[in-house]
Amino acid sequence: MTEMNMVQALNSALDLSMAADDSIILLGEDIGVDGGVFRVTEGLQKKYGPERVNDTPLVELGIVGMAIGMALTGLKPIAEIQFQDFIYTAMDQIINQAAKIRYRSAGQYTVPMVLRTPYGGGIKGGLYHSQSGETYFAHTAGLTVVSPSNPADAKGLLISSIGYGDPVIFLEPKRIYRTIKGEVKDGSYAIPLRKAAVVREGDDITAITYGSMVPTVRDAFEKNNVNGDIIDLRTLMPFDIETIVKSVEKTGRVLVVHEAPRTLGLGAEISAAIAERAMESLLGPILRVTGPDSPFPYRHEEYYLPNEKRIMKAVNKLSEYR
Amino acid sequence: MQEAEKSEEKSRLVKAYTAIVLARTLDKKIVVAQRQGRVGFYTPTMGQEALQIGASMALTEKDLIYGYYRDVPMMLHRGVPMEVIINQIMGNSEDSALGRQMPSHFSDKKRNFMSVQSPVATNLPVATGAAFTQKYRKTNSVVLATFGDGSTSTPDFHAAMNMAAVFNLPVIFLCENNGWAISLPVEKQTIAEIWTKAAAYGMRGLRVNGNDVIETHEVTLEAVKRAREGKGPTLIDAVSFRMGPHSTSDDPSKYRSETVEEGSDRDPVVVTEKTLKSRGYIDDKLIESIKSRAQKIVDDKFEECAKIPPPEPKSAFEDVYGKSTWMLDEEVKDIL
Ligand SMILES: Cc1ncc(C[n+]2csc(CCOP(=O)(O)OP(=O)(O)O)c2C)c(N)n1
Ligand SMILES: [Mg+2]
Repeated sequence: MTEMNMVQALNSALDLSMAADDSIILLGEDIGVDGGVFRVTEGLQKKYGPERVNDTPLVELGIVGMAIGMALTGLKPIAEIQFQDFIYTAMDQIINQAAKIRYRSAGQYTVPMVLRTPYGGGIKGGLYHSQSGETYFAHTAGLTVVSPSNPADAKGLLISSIGYGDPVIFLEPKRIYRTIKGEVKDGSYAIPLRKAAVVREGDDITAITYGSMVPTVRDAFEKNNVNGDIIDLRTLMPFDIETIVKSVEKTGRVLVVHEAPRTLGLGAEISAAIAERAMESLLGPILRVTGPDSPFPYRHEEYYLPNEKRIMKAVNKLSEYR
Repeated sequence: MQEAEKSEEKSRLVKAYTAIVLARTLDKKIVVAQRQGRVGFYTPTMGQEALQIGASMALTEKDLIYGYYRDVPMMLHRGVPMEVIINQIMGNSEDSALGRQMPSHFSDKKRNFMSVQSPVATNLPVATGAAFTQKYRKTNSVVLATFGDGSTSTPDFHAAMNMAAVFNLPVIFLCENNGWAISLPVEKQTIAEIWTKAAAYGMRGLRVNGNDVIETHEVTLEAVKRAREGKGPTLIDAVSFRMGPHSTSDDPSKYRSETVEEGSDRDPVVVTEKTLKSRGYIDDKLIESIKSRAQKIVDDKFEECAKIPPPEPKSAFEDVYGKSTWMLDEEVKDIL
């Protein structure tokens, strides 16, 4: 066990995986000599050489396209997109190639590729360095979308994503890259995909969240002695409905928290799925605390991000339903 | 030329000509079948046979093709069984993609012909990544990526060319320049000649007469050789023409007045025939027998494939993930 932050944990996952498997190739902008703008790939080019840790030209669709081609021919590429906000020119490659190749070849060709990318606000990045675009990916059949909420999970989930067999969009909540430290096991270990974690247990309310909002919700619950379950989805698509329903049947009150805009965000789908399965257990409405349906602001980002005040307002409202 | 060399060239060119004839015969069969309602859609290849087969002649079976929807002649020459092509067009239960893709979106993993997508040129960055693997693993194989003239306007084309050059990868970009992108002539697609675009990436760029199977073969062979020697990618602008419509859904009379008639002097079947005759490799008798044999193969294969039943409906919702999701399982249960 070593205490480390998420950047170090991700680096450790990459390092251990690369040491064990020479089919793992890294590519992206400034990831080699510079170690990535957030330093996640620090030291890896020195250790594994420029053939395995590739500094690429500045073209996201080229990075993703090449990663797909590598994956199709027996490698396990891990591409870094410097900021999730810049992934959109590569959406055609992601949606029309990566996500569809298994299907369109009836399983003959597969794309065991990981796209790592920092997402979300809280670093004063304004509208082009703060987006939470998970819905775009989650809405595409064929993609697996993962987001860790702490260093230990980041390592285990990334290890599971490498060579998973299907393309994984690995969304790294950059706000908590360095702000949260935790004990992380030293060797390689996997945390299964498609499985949520209950990170706090209680009886009165189920909070469903992921990524950077997990610590925000937990802090709010701890500070205010909220007796509730907090479910960290870990995998956003396909999300773990069993864990959710089990908790909802116990508590009867549901709160979904995410940074992404509310309308057609993940919360909408989770709410519908709960309503379809556990209507009888619900004591009140399913509430959402989310980012607003606006671009992400620079100066007033603290107003955009869900916080303790808004979370507690929703918790208090839900507690009125008995 | 030595006797042995000459006989080797003869068999190579007769094989090429046979594939050209086979491709043309199949092409016409499918177009007629589409009009009869036996096939849903098709993108004819008439006019592009010589360039495709010339390029294919330069490859070994270990090389990889990342092609597009008009590459039937190349596939046939490479040894892709005709039923793989017809079954795909029919979308029946023997189709390797189980009828999931619309016609003309072929795939044959056994012969290293990558499954074709619709969005044009998105195969090019992917082909570049596949070429990265060949270099990294030192396989000595090369990747051939094909696309049309219209596809050169896409960001994917530029991205792929640039990255292939920067990483010095064994990939050949073969532009099947048929002069049209549906209704847009190549002069309106781009002001520069396509082969000159290579210069922007510090890459070799060449134009060839795509109607000449020998010239296309030689130029591609040189590009393949360079790629194998680690000398990087090449862009080949193979100029030909689209003799038919863009697809069976297209009516070119709205935008095109002039066309190359079948059997005319510019028809690649005729051109190839003349070349082979002048070298004494074929005569009228052999031509006749190649053509009638092709017709019989095509007719027989087509009817054989037409008898194959459609895939099970449930297969339309499989292979989305390695392991299906609870969402999809539930949705499919509701449908079936
Ligand atoms: C990205 C994209 N835009 C539009 C289309 C619709 N479309 C299909 S083929 C085609 C023309 C392609 O022309 P070209 O690249 O020259 O190839 P050709 O069909 O002439 O062989 C168009 C516009 C498409 N398939 N993909
Ligand atoms: Mg064209």
